[in-house]
Amino acid sequence: MIIDALLYDGSSSKEHHVEIEFTPNRRVLIPSHNIDIALDDIRIESRLGNTMRVLNFPNGVRCKSSDNNQIDQVLKEFGLSKSKAYKIESSWKLTVISVFVTVGFVWFMLTAGASYTAKGIASVLPKNTLEDVSELTMNQLEDNYLKHTKLSDEKREMIQNYFDRLTKNEEQYQLHFRSSPQIGPNAFALPSGDIVLTDQLVDLSRDEKFRDIIGVLAHEKGHVVHRHSLRMAIKTGIAGVLIGYITGDVSVIATAVPTILINSSYSREFEHEADVYAVSALQDMNISTQYIANLFETLAKESEDVDDNSTLTGILASHPLTSDRIKFFKSYAEVKK
Amino acid sequence: MEEISPLAEERVVEFEKPEPQKRELTFKSFEFRGTGSEYFRIWIVNIALTILTLGIYSAWAKVRTNRYFYANTYLNGSNFEYNANPVRILIGRIVVIAVYALFILFSQELAMFKVASGIALVVFIAIPWLIRQAVSFKFRNTSYRHIPFRYTGKTSEFYAFFLLHSLYNIFTLFLIFPYSYIVFKRLLLNDAHYGNGKFKFEGGVGDTYAIYIQIFVWSTLFLIAIVLLLGIIGGVGTAMFSSYLTPLFESLKESLTPDIIAVITSVGVLLFYLPFIFWNKGFSDGYFSNFVRNKSSFHQSPLKGDMKPFRLGVISATNLLAIVFSLGLLYPWAKVRYLKYKLEHTHFACENYNQFESDGYEQGSTVGEEMVDFFDIDIGL
Repeated sequence: MIIDALLYDGSSSKEHHVEIEFTPNRRVLIPSHNIDIALDDIRIESRLGNTMRVLNFPNGVRCKSSDNNQIDQVLKEFGLSKSKAYKIESSWKLTVISVFVTVGFVWFMLTAGASYTAKGIASVLPKNTLEDVSELTMNQLEDNYLKHTKLSDEKREMIQNYFDRLTKNEEQYQLHFRSSPQIGPNAFALPSGDIVLTDQLVDLSRDEKFRDIIGVLAHEKGHVVHRHSLRMAIKTGIAGVLIGYITGDVSVIATAVPTILINSSYSREFEHEADVYAVSALQDMNISTQYIANLFETLAKESEDVDDNSTLTGILASHPLTSDRIKFFKSYAEVKK
Repeated sequence: MEEISPLAEERVVEFEKPEPQKRELTFKSFEFRGTGSEYFRIWIVNIALTILTLGIYSAWAKVRTNRYFYANTYLNGSNFEYNANPVRILIGRIVVIAVYALFILFSQELAMFKVASGIALVVFIAIPWLIRQAVSFKFRNTSYRHIPFRYTGKTSEFYAFFLLHSLYNIFTLFLIFPYSYIVFKRLLLNDAHYGNGKFKFEGGVGDTYAIYIQIFVWSTLFLIAIVLLLGIIGGVGTAMFSSYLTPLFESLKESLTPDIIAVITSVGVLLFYLPFIFWNKGFSDGYFSNFVRNKSSFHQSPLKGDMKPFRLGVISATNLLAIVFSLGLLYPWAKVRYLKYKLEHTHFACENYNQFESDGYEQGSTVGEEMVDFFDIDIGL
């Protein structure tokens, strides 16, 4: 079989048009350049789309041919394998499977995969790393937003008693009472297990035994138990890396777009997980979920009155879906009755 | 009138003695013969195999991608070649990731900050050397007609450049940056060879400042136009429709779920990012690409760039939109489209393509190249 090719001798940039002959006894001949060599001594590069096929000869000679199909034919006849990568690229079926593998992997890493990774990382992560990060955050909050609590000792003792029952005196969990006019009625948890409760939230309580407040604290403990902050960080990181890798040079800010989309659905998922945890914790303590539902109703009304640009973070910020959540807690309250 | 003047010019030329050194320049443009759909298959298979092999295939993926783009780039009917060895690239990647992992391990896991900062310091000191390695890697693995490019810049020059120019820029608050740009381009191009031929870059400091000022003026005008337009739309809108708008906003407020807020934020980010990409990958890249080509020659034969910066900006911005709205799937088409435009507006006037002699292929370290790749550092080659 004869194919047309270009020959470069490797020492000058001259281009020669040649014919390469493949003989049945596995020899390769280029008569014009006195080349007569065994087929197994030349290295034929794998096919890549329809680009010129490169044939490397041992003495520094390189030939190129656009006759890809003929070369594949030669390789087949002599029992030499086609490149595996080209086999996949040229098959519709395998290309489609590649699309599914890629999309599936990205989807998995952004959903279940991130949670597994978070669990893995959290178990490997030394405890003091989480504590360091939390301490840093706590210090910043203390400096900028938090003031000493003005709650009476009596009230604090009541809430603290509930909290100790909730955490079964596990040392990891610490409750901090603080006043914060800036943050307003709120509670939030740090990954270390430190939970901050503002006086402003306690003031909104309509229950003399603060059974609604303990619901909120159970919700916050749920965030810690499910390692939400770490999972969020890992998911955001994974999303950034994946999107960056796949889209190549479209950089950081473009990847921020999907990341924001992902985060919003995460926070909903996380809030729900924490709510579910709160319900089971309250049931264990024999407290009706009606109280926390009531508190949410009060909060929802409050936030309608107060302007929307307050910098709420924590229990209210990412949940204008309060009505759904109130319904959720109420549904458990009715079962109890 | 207009028909006479060219004739008049011709007559003048006839009387002049032809200068012996002056030769007719025939520019040939680079061509790109690849297609988006062909590259799509290579790209998606690369990613899938990289996932399935836990990242190991990424080295082969890089070689296949580059081979595809080089082999489809033609000049004077011949194509370019990418000759990097995937196994060596893999080794480079492993070294870079191992050092990075060690740094993360010591700094974030073990909290041994002295060891971590030691690692960081060593890497920091090695940066100029690594960047020189990356430059050399790119040249020596590129060939045309089976003759490789070569880079002979000295490591000491890279250290001198990074040391001096980081100081200069700190003290002049980056006002001297255009000068640094020129010096770095000289460093890259004046030590670049193809066979026994040599590249030469003759861009001056004045040119760079002129371009920076030009880009600055255009960008400012562009920004002012956007602000004015938004202001007019906003102002007229509120004046005419305020009675309708207030209830509209009220009803919008109530329907604001986190998902809708996220979508609005995303669109906002995208709207900000579009002009940035237009400016960065298109507008200013167009100006600088033309500048570097027009001031460069190879073996006394000039290169020429005639991209339209505005057109390149439009290409970049619409590419971004296509990538975002196809969730990344149109990336191969976007990449081909951008590259094709740049190549087809690059020209070279060489009178004899057969005259070059090879100095042979070289091997070298891949660590620098992979560091630049891993941290996505743009060295402008």
